[in-house]
Order: sequence, then C-alpha cells, then structure tokens
Amino acid sequence: MANRFVATKVEIEGREETKIVELPAREPAPWDDDAALTVVGQRVPRMDALEKVTGRARYTADIQLPRMLYAAILRAPVASGRVTTLDLSPALELDGVRGAVALDDVPSIVLDGVRLFDRTIHYANQPLAAVCADSLEIAVRALNAIALEIVSEPHVVTAEQALASGAPRVRSSGNTPRSSPRIISRGDVGAGLAQADVVITREYRTPAALHTALEPHGAVADWNAGRVTVWESTQGIFNTRADLAKAFAMPLSSVRVIKNYMGGGFGAKNGASHATYIAVALSKLLGRPVRCVLDREGEQTDAGNRPSTAQRVTLGAKRDGTLTAIKLDATISLGIGGWLGGPGRIYHELYRCANVHSSETFVYMNTAAMSSFRAPGHVEGAFGLERAMDVLARELDLDPLELRRANYADLAQDKRRPYSSKRLDECYTRGAQRFGWGRARTMPRENDGRFRRGVGMASLTWGAGGGPPAYATVRLNRDGSVDVLTGAQDLGTGARTVFAQVAAEVLGARVEHVRTILGDTERLPFASNSWGSITTASVAPAVRVAAEEARDSLYEAASGVLGVSPDDLESCDGVIRARSSGASIAIGDLCEKLGDVMIIGQGSRGPNPEQTQISAFGAQFAEVEVDVETGRVRVLRIVSAHDSGRIINPTLAESQLEGGIIQGLGYALFEERVLDERLGLPLNPTMHDYKIPTIADIPDIDAFFVDGADPVANHTGVKGLAEPPIIGTAPAIANAVADAIGREVGEIPLTPWRVLDATRA
Amino acid sequence: MVNGAAFDVTVPDHETLLSTLRDRLELTGTKLVCGRGECGACTVLVDGTAVYACLTLTAACESRAVTTIEGIGREDALHPVQAAFIEHDAAQCGFCTPGQIVAAIALLERNPSPTEDDVRRGMSGNLCRCGTYPKIVRAVMAAADQARAADG
Repeated sequence: MANRFVATKVEIEGREETKIVELPAREPAPWDDDAALTVVGQRVPRMDALEKVTGRARYTADIQLPRMLYAAILRAPVASGRVTTLDLSPALELDGVRGAVALDDVPSIVLDGVRLFDRTIHYANQPLAAVCADSLEIAVRALNAIALEIVSEPHVVTAEQALASGAPRVRSSGNTPRSSPRIISRGDVGAGLAQADVVITREYRTPAALHTALEPHGAVADWNAGRVTVWESTQGIFNTRADLAKAFAMPLSSVRVIKNYMGGGFGAKNGASHATYIAVALSKLLGRPVRCVLDREGEQTDAGNRPSTAQRVTLGAKRDGTLTAIKLDATISLGIGGWLGGPGRIYHELYRCANVHSSETFVYMNTAAMSSFRAPGHVEGAFGLERAMDVLARELDLDPLELRRANYADLAQDKRRPYSSKRLDECYTRGAQRFGWGRARTMPRENDGRFRRGVGMASLTWGAGGGPPAYATVRLNRDGSVDVLTGAQDLGTGARTVFAQVAAEVLGARVEHVRTILGDTERLPFASNSWGSITTASVAPAVRVAAEEARDSLYEAASGVLGVSPDDLESCDGVIRARSSGASIAIGDLCEKLGDVMIIGQGSRGPNPEQTQISAFGAQFAEVEVDVETGRVRVLRIVSAHDSGRIINPTLAESQLEGGIIQGLGYALFEERVLDERLGLPLNPTMHDYKIPTIADIPDIDAFFVDGADPVANHTGVKGLAEPPIIGTAPAIANAVADAIGREVGEIPLTPWRVLDATRA
Repeated sequence: MVNGAAFDVTVPDHETLLSTLRDRLELTGTKLVCGRGECGACTVLVDGTAVYACLTLTAACESRAVTTIEGIGREDALHPVQAAFIEHDAAQCGFCTPGQIVAAIALLERNPSPTEDDVRRGMSGNLCRCGTYPKIVRAVMAAADQARAADG
C-alpha cells in the first residue's frame, strides 16, 4: 500500500513551504462551473453579525474573569542604550499592586531577535518590565514608580543611517541579515536592456505603515495547576500555543488558546506577542488570571508595521511595448527584526519578461520590528513596478492598459509552471468597461484650473492557493442541527459563514441550521494561521470532505427508514429524498429517530496539484481630482476587478475587496509612521496623528469578481481573495495623480506637500 | 441611569464613563480603542446625545440617562439601524460596530432624512479599519428610508 503521507508545496505570503500531508480518505470530484450548487455562491448573511450589532460579541479585551488582574508595560524612552538601574520595589509597595516582572523573572523569550525585557535597549518603546495590579489605572500609575535609569547610545532609525560607514551596530552580526542582499534573477538583464528601444529608470519610496487594528494586541491568561488557558486576539491559535509551550517549557496539551472574536489583525497577530508572554508570566507568578492588552501607543509603536522601502526600478522595452528587461534595486527597512518580506517578487511574477533581476537589501535599525501586513512585499513592490509601467507607457505613447496586455504572462515564469487558472485578461476587459477607461483616459484635461482630474490603473497578482494541513469535523445533533468544527480563525472575514455554507451544500441542510465553531486549540482539529489569504482555500475542502463523510452516514441511516438504496438519495433544504420513489424525510426527523447516535464526519485538506501555480489576479482603476493650490488629492472612484476563483459568498467577499481597497487608499494618501531622526522616537503614535481613512474619504467603489471556479486549485474551486485588493490600489491612485498633474510622484503617501512639490518641480 | 436601570456607583472624580461601563458594570459592548476621542469606538448616548465615553466623566453623568449598545434593541427586537447593519454586511471584525451604530442612531435622530454626504460627514468621527464604510453608508441610508416609511 502506498504511503499516505506525502509532501506538497504551500505558498504563504510569497514564501513557498513544503508540508507533509496525510492523503484524505476521499478526494471528491472538483466543483467546477457546471456543479449544481444551491448554498455555495449565495449571499448568506454573516453568521456572527447579530452578536456584533448587539455588542454581545466578546473580544479578548472584553474577557473578565473572577479575581482578574491588569498588567501594564514599562517601555524604553530612547531608541538605543542600556538599562543601568531597574528597581521594581517602589512600584510593588503601592496599594493594589500585586506583582511585577522584569528580565530575571521570565524565561528567555526572544521575539524578532530581541529578548523580552532585555536590558539593552534596541528601539524606542521596547518593553523593559511589566506591573500587575487590581485595576489598569493602578498598574499604569505604578509604572511611574519604577526606578529606571538608562544610558543612551547612538542610534540609527533610517536605512541611510544604518548603511552609512561607521554606523553604530544595531545587531552584533551587523546592520543587514546574512542573506542580504537577496538576489533573484532570470535571463540576462544587461542583454535585455541592450535589446530595448526605450529604457526608463525611476526611484520610488514607500512609507512604514501601521496596521492600526482597532483591537490592540492582547491576552488574558489563566494559569491553573501547571496548565494555562489564554484568550488571545490572534490570527493563529495553534502558532500562539506553540510559542507559549516552547517559552514556558510545557507540553502543547497544557496550553489552551482561545480566539472567538478579534478586532482586526491584518497580518500583525500571527503568534504570541509581548502581551501574551507577559500575561502568562504574571498569571503563573501570581496564580490569578491576568489581562494584558496594549494601549494605543504600544500598539502603534511596537506591534508590527509594513516596512518602508526605497526602490530603484529600470524597465527596458521594445517600441511596441514588449518588455525586454526588469531590474530592481531595493532597500527595505526592517527595523530591529522581522522576516525578509521584500518588494522583489511581484517584479518576477506580474509580466512576461525573459530578463528580470532584483536585489533586495534588508536593513536592521533601531526601530520596532516589521511584520506581515496585508499582502506583505507585493503592496510595496506593486507601487514601484506599476508606477514604472505607467511611466513606460507614457514614454512609448501607449495606453497603460495595452502595455500591460502586451506583456501578459501565460506561465508563472519565475517557477516555470502553468497557472491553475488565470482570468486577468477578463479583469482588464470588464474592469475597463465598468470604469469607462477608454473614454476617461482620453477625456480633455484642464491644464490651468485649480482642480485637475486624472485616471490611472494597475494590475496585481498574489499567491492564493492555500493548502494542507487543515482538518474539520462535521457533526449532526439529534435535532438535525449541524456543527462544523475547525481550528481556524474568523478575523472578520466571514470564515464562519463560508464554512457553514460548504457544509450545508454537501449535507443538503438549511444553512441557518449550521453553526461553525472556530478558535480553540483544545477542542478543535488543526487549521493553520489565517494569513496569506489561505484560510478558505485551505479549510473549505476539509469541511467539504467532512460533510461528505457525514452525509454518507446520514444517507445510510435514511435508506433504512425510506426503504431505498443510499445511492438513490439526495438532499436539499433540510430534506432527504429518494429520487425513484419521491419518499422523503427531514434531516431533523431522521436524526430524532436516531436518538443520540451522533453522525460525525472527519475531513482533511489534500495536497496541492504538482507543478502548478495558484494565484489570484486583479485590475484596479482609479479616478482622482487634485487641488493644485493645496495639493490635496481626492479619489473620486475606484473600479476593481478580481479573479479569485469561485466565490462562496459574494457579499462577504465584496466586503473584503472594499476593505482592502480602502486600506490601499490610506496607504496611497495618508498613512506613514513618522520618526524623529535625532531622537529616534515615533512622533505620531495616535489615531489622530497616524491617519487612516475615514468614511468621508471614501470614493465610489465598484469592486467585483470575474467569477469562475478553479477546479485545478482544489476541489471547492476557490482561491484566496482578501489580500489582492490592497495591492494595486496605491499605484492606481498614484498613476491617476500623475495623469492629473502631468508630473511624476515618486513617494507615497501623496500628502499635500508632496503633491505640491511635484506640481512645482 | 444606564439602559433604563438605575446604578448607584461610587467612583473617583476622574473616572471615565467608559471605564465605569466596561469595568464596573461589565457592559463591554462599548469599546476602548484610542482613549482620547479620536476614533468613536466608545460612542454612547447621554440624554440622547452621542458622546465619547472615554472623554466623559462618570461624575458628570449623575441622574442622566446613558444608553449603550446593550440598551439599543434586543436580539429578538433589533433597532432598525442594527437590522440594517446585518442586512448590508456593515460589520467585518465588528469592533467598531457598537460605536458606529450608536453614532448612526444619534445622527438619524438629528437628521431623519440624511443624504449620503450627510452620513459621511456625520459619521466621520467613527473609524473602521476593516473598511466597511461603503456598507455603513448603505445601512444608515436604508435605516433612514425604513424609518420614514414607517412614519409615513
């Protein structure tokens, strides 16, 4: 018998990983475009909306346990230096203070290369100690009582400073990681440039952007007899469990992580955070539940960011627009740590071109570590590449859309393999149609008025195949109600609802009788982090298999009652019916007859197709109005066309598109972390000074899918969809601004002063 | 008075309404996000007027009527704004939603026939990071239409 444990490739946020997968007991025929589906594809209302609109949804920050204590974090007031004195005892003497921890009171926990409570200060706002008290107010007050003395040392908070000769060392190994610069190359860029009729070179800069989830990172920990239960605002309960078990040297089974609701993640909440470790350490120390939730300043300064980049882009093309060379030299400001998420990859993926070379220099500096942020790397890279393509189109006097069509990639060239499906051409066509691109592009421009209009577009791609491992259980209660159990997370994406739709489809159950239970490591089978737009494509197939197994048992039971063969049965809308005789029984009545016999199905996600690239695609179009007297940019409308395979729930999926576009709009126009270079301190760690879009900034958004199953990707036909819409938004807007003012803009966000500088250049 | 019931609490002069609601009364539907009047997540009604609970002192609410999300509609008898938020998928993660709904109710109280621009202006103090704004506009407009239809 063949070994059921095989290897498969899974792409997560641009990184391809090899995973072991246990071949599922069954691998159903794919739901292709002809599959007769009645629940999948419907606009089923979001299943947890009632809890959310009534204020009953309980988030981590809302968890209140008997005898619970509150923790607050002491943070470093300088960007670099050493702690010479740290005396907790004055704080411990205050009324209501129950405990405090610093370096020597916690195990050695290293996060982003920095030990928790390290006495060497690597960046401003690094945690140095934590205090725990009867109320948050007392804990915060107690921080001021801690005797802290520090010695400042020279810091570097920009890539230029960090890479300068004689710069202070940020890490003992140097200011760049060992694998930097990362070179990715195909063909011969020199030869490609020699063949080119036109060569352009431009430099672009993108800002450090902050996730600004409304619910900060936080945890409530309840240590009890060698075990700990943790409520955590996280995108990955199993990752968080693994982090905690390792840090506190516990078996995985002694750590329970629960995430029911969370107030936004966007990539920053992928494992145990400072708050988690601190809550657990204090709960262990004091034997009482502890809540540690970051305050807003902590969230904005030490909870992840999209790293800033500088990108020098060279494109070479023939007169007809055919690309002959793409070259990128990029610098990525990681901060004190993080992973090597760079802008390079999309340069290799988006267009057909034989000669592509990217060099990415990653830089350590005395700022908080970067982390994943919705489509990490591709958002930054798309800005550089798609701005440069716009410039090239102008140089060649081509329609920017036609330039992109002229370089359409039918193959995933970097990995030399076919796509499972690709409908980018349809996105171009239908997006352009709904936008009125041809007309808008050639509309007469006003060249001397105060308000100038312009249009721009950009395209995008994102690896969105998901993959194993992911498990699900489907069980029927004796009244016929259905529970779907899987250890995934719903970040507000709608995962609960789409899994219920898949189970209802297979069982023929009414969708309102299906409930999805997520987010508990102790009670639920494994599913991976909700990141990289992988959740639906990873977990929905497991739910389908589990529901099929349950359905087979259900039909077997029904066949006895109805006196027909199980093969003769079908079910829809909560009723099982014999095709031959028309005899029927409601699922609820059948389950009632079975008493407490519990019908249970188990399912898992099978391997990905071999040598196949599974990607989402899209084309985004923007129209803007620029006030050339003030430099203010107003986005008037966005049209966004997406290929993400089958869409299980169009309403929820469109909400994801709109959300991604709006975050992209913030990235284009407003959002940037500002640091004081001399002091090394963040200057805008509030929601007033770090500007995210408000409802008044929102243009007309027409975001839609070029719908169609991808039966090669997996047997539910879905691909990921939540990250793609942020990727092309900023370049589409910046291209529209360039069109409006007839000048180039090289740096986002497009704040009034940058736009005015460009208009006066 | 909170949601129609009288509470007798002794609080320090500097305690915020948000802290009293969340920590003493365990009404956690009202959220703490910025703590300084920048985001609207803690919006509640005091005598029918929308205020930021994080910038309101509890001591100033003595013998006044405070309404939180828990006091607006019941799950079997939703306020039309709540029902419209469900119907139009105006909540993603849901963390800002209680504040959005309370702000929308206050807005419609002031202006029962708002234009979309009125909604955008009137709701611009309530931030949402998931980007549900287009759906919020739709939901508030639909709730207004429905209220007018019910009156008319």
